[in-house]
Amino acid sequence: MNYTEVKTVTFADFKLPESVISKLDISHMASEVERIDNEMTAFDVRNKDNPDAQKVQPTMSQNLTDFIAQNNLSLDDGRNRTELIKELRLLNDKVPVIHMTFSVEADPESLQQLSRWLRESVHPQSVISVGLQPSLIAGVYLRTPNHVRDLSLRAMIAGKHDALVAELDTLRVS
Amino acid sequence: MGIFKHKQASSDDENAEIEQFFDENFREELRNHGRWYFEKIIKENSVLFKEDLKATIDGVAIDLKERTESQLDEVIVQINSELKESVTKQLEGQFTEYSKSAKEAQDKALESLTTSAEGLEQQHKDLATTIQKSIANQSLMLESLFQENMTKIAAVKEANEAALQSLNRSISELEEQNKHLSEALETKIAKQEESMIQAFESNMAQVVEHYLLGALGDAYDLKTQLPSIIKQMEANKDAIAEDMKL
Repeated sequence: MNYTEVKTVTFADFKLPESVISKLDISHMASEVERIDNEMTAFDVRNKDNPDAQKVQPTMSQNLTDFIAQNNLSLDDGRNRTELIKELRLLNDKVPVIHMTFSVEADPESLQQLSRWLRESVHPQSVISVGLQPSLIAGVYLRTPNHVRDLSLRAMIAGKHDALVAELDTLRVS
Repeated sequence: MGIFKHKQASSDDENAEIEQFFDENFREELRNHGRWYFEKIIKENSVLFKEDLKATIDGVAIDLKERTESQLDEVIVQINSELKESVTKQLEGQFTEYSKSAKEAQDKALESLTTSAEGLEQQHKDLATTIQKSIANQSLMLESLFQENMTKIAAVKEANEAALQSLNRSISELEEQNKHLSEALETKIAKQEESMIQAFESNMAQVVEHYLLGALGDAYDLKTQLPSIIKQMEANKDAIAEDMKL
């Protein structure tokens, strides 16, 4: 990716890999690109007079590697890196977040499956903010920017309370 | 003479022959032989002398030992007899002193016992007199007490009769109260049972939730729940997408 390409590709065009689940992952990627930019800039400054110096490839996390591969990006140019950092920060601020509270600890595989479904069905850049509330028993408590949806077993039981009482009354009478 | 001369001549010859025979070497040999023989005799005699001397010394040692033992035995016997006499004398003297002092102590103790016995007899007499007086006083007091107790017993008997009547009345009242109380209690229990059942029914959702939470625990993990969650989200997909757009 060269500088001109960066100018045309904005955060809205980014495709997020499955392993990027939350805003924290995007924030980590921005910090990582920033670190890589610092390292590479320092290398360029040190070897200004030595254009033949062998460039050392920076170490990257799996998230960032997947992200760069999926979006056909390159970190070789300093201006590209600066632009990418800016766009990643914008993405971190603007990305649609859906809060999901579960009754048990969420494992990464299940979260990836959920984020895949969200990106296919709701928004291609949506991320999840995970919460834990054991009293839900099972299911999920969803919070979108404007609505709350209790899809938990606790809510289901509470909704069927009258029916249960009626059944108990029937049992007592019999 | 001639004979003698001849003889003398022959003896001179013999002497000459002898002297020729006993030359210096032969004499030296004889001396050596004699020295050797003398040494041999001396050695044999010295061995014999050593043996004699050893036998003599052994004999003297045995004699000396026997003599010393006999002398020591005599001395020990003598010392024993002297010591025995001395110790016997000392013991007899001490026994005499001890028996004298013991007799004096016995006399003193006897005298003291006699004095104590007299004192005790006097005390016994005094005590008997005091007890007689005390018994007379006690009998008088007991008689008056008996009279008082008789009057008190009569009063207590009357009070008991009154208390018994009161108790009988109380028992009947208590029975009546008990009857009312049990009736009220039964009514209250029935009401409480009803209210508890109502509370149980109204809190049924919480009870079931608590039970399910305890029963499922961590065994019902997210992977197991995932199909159901996605199914529910699928049902609300449009609404969620709409929310996200806003």
